[in-house]
Amino acid sequence: METTFIPRSLGQPGLLSDVRAFLAVVRREWIIFTRYPSWIIALFIWPLIFPMMYILTARALSGPDGSGLAVFIATTGATDYIGYIIVGTTVWMWQNIVLWDVGFALRNEQMRGTLESNWLTPTWRFSYLLGQTGPQIVTMAMFIGVTALEFGLLFGIRLNGSPWMLGLMMLAAIPAIYGLGFAFASLVITVKEANAFVFLIRGMVMIFCGITFPVAILPAWMQTFAKWLPQTYLIHGMRAAAFAKAGVKELLPDLIPLLSFGAFWLAVGYFTFLWMERRARKSGAIGQY
Amino acid sequence: MQLTTLSQPSLTTHLRALFVIARKDWKVFWRYPLNALSSVFQPIIWITPVYFMGKAFSTNGQAAGFAAYSGTGDYMSYILLGTVLTNFIMTVFWGMGYALKNDMDSGVLESNWLTPIPRLLILVGRTLTSILTTTITSATMLILAGLLFGFRPTGSTFAAILTAVPMLVGLYGFGFAFAGVVLLMREANTLVDVGSFLVQGFSGTNFPVQSLPYWLIPISLMLPLTYGLDAVRGFLLKTNTLLPIPAEIAILLFSMFVMLWIGAQVFHRVERRVRTLGTLGQH
Repeated sequence: METTFIPRSLGQPGLLSDVRAFLAVVRREWIIFTRYPSWIIALFIWPLIFPMMYILTARALSGPDGSGLAVFIATTGATDYIGYIIVGTTVWMWQNIVLWDVGFALRNEQMRGTLESNWLTPTWRFSYLLGQTGPQIVTMAMFIGVTALEFGLLFGIRLNGSPWMLGLMMLAAIPAIYGLGFAFASLVITVKEANAFVFLIRGMVMIFCGITFPVAILPAWMQTFAKWLPQTYLIHGMRAAAFAKAGVKELLPDLIPLLSFGAFWLAVGYFTFLWMERRARKSGAIGQY
Repeated sequence: MQLTTLSQPSLTTHLRALFVIARKDWKVFWRYPLNALSSVFQPIIWITPVYFMGKAFSTNGQAAGFAAYSGTGDYMSYILLGTVLTNFIMTVFWGMGYALKNDMDSGVLESNWLTPIPRLLILVGRTLTSILTTTITSATMLILAGLLFGFRPTGSTFAAILTAVPMLVGLYGFGFAFAGVVLLMREANTLVDVGSFLVQGFSGTNFPVQSLPYWLIPISLMLPLTYGLDAVRGFLLKTNTLLPIPAEIAILLFSMFVMLWIGAQVFHRVERRVRTLGTLGQH
């Protein structure tokens, strides 16, 4: 009689072990993050200097007599061009940071040569990505808080609308922004030329979503394309919530597509990860870079 | 007892080392063709929001407010020229500081350091390929952006290029000092990004520095790059300059020597400190 030998694994997979793996990744990421103190510089300087480049260009375009500013007000309806730009650039920076942090989570492991050995552990592999997200959301919340503080103190920017509505818009954007990050992380590990993809995606946000100008100023075909990007709705909704006193009812035209895109990108992110995982095991190329 | 070394350093060996470093970087650059492509499109992507924002501030395609500061209403030519020069500024920053960080991460910095080549030569070598590729990608970018947004130089290109040379050589001084800081801090991205972003901003790559708030203008005036960008634009676009162009060129030449000397001194001191601490190979 033929007997089959089934090797017993030392790993005991279960919900608890998955949570423990997730927490271990969170802890590791936090240690790495705090190990390089230049993050403090980044936290305080980036929220200020990135929008500043556009704000100072807008200031130059306004002219010494403010003649250009009158044209801008007539075009956009926004009297405060600084606040207008800050909202757009903050959303861009959020997506950009997620692409670099979450999107590079697996690629960095690959470059360090630890991805393959991690892959062999009996853990829930998606926790490698989710674990990156935890510290990232914390640092991003700090980043947005510092942005509000700095521009409030230095430029006197004040919210006309409700901070709760602003928070609601940002919460609604989390699935779309991080879902895109998950999908991106899986693609990058397969294609490997990660930088070019970050530049492509953040470039689309920069060109089409109206970070420094109203989308209405774009040619018709670009406006159509912009409607397929969740960041367009996020920027529009955040500007309405922050400066036009918009409530939930007024924000619904932005919230509904934003949440729909969120569900779509989370699903795409998860299934792309599963596809990549299967492909990596078949091709055996996960450790190559 | 006199120690003899197997190496025979000479001008020829140094040139050979430079060539080898540049060839290695050339191979790596073209190994990732998408990255090469993105370096053409990346600057276009960055200035597209400025193009549309400029439209929101313009009437009938003329930015009258901008013209009052700069002397030209053609803000896109002004910005495109600044973008090309920015590409070179970034190259020197990235080329040295970031290259050191890459070597640290790959674990080859310590072994490179043991070769009988002057350390500054290694740093300069790391910028040779990037300067060549930046020239290629910037020219391509300028052609494409010219087609998309319009680029209308009206002055002397030759004089503008000659003016840019001392500015770029002086930047190596910045780059040396910066590379030293990277050796010490062992983290490059934030330092490179923030450093180059601030320098670009205050030197007026996207806007005339006259439009800055008055309390920021002294910072701009302390940067030699400000005069470099200003003089190049003065030659090529006939814009209003901060000082007469010969005075700006004199500042550039003087600062070139000063920056190179200070940069080399900072780098040597930091490098000595890192070797004393024994942290060169750590990342």
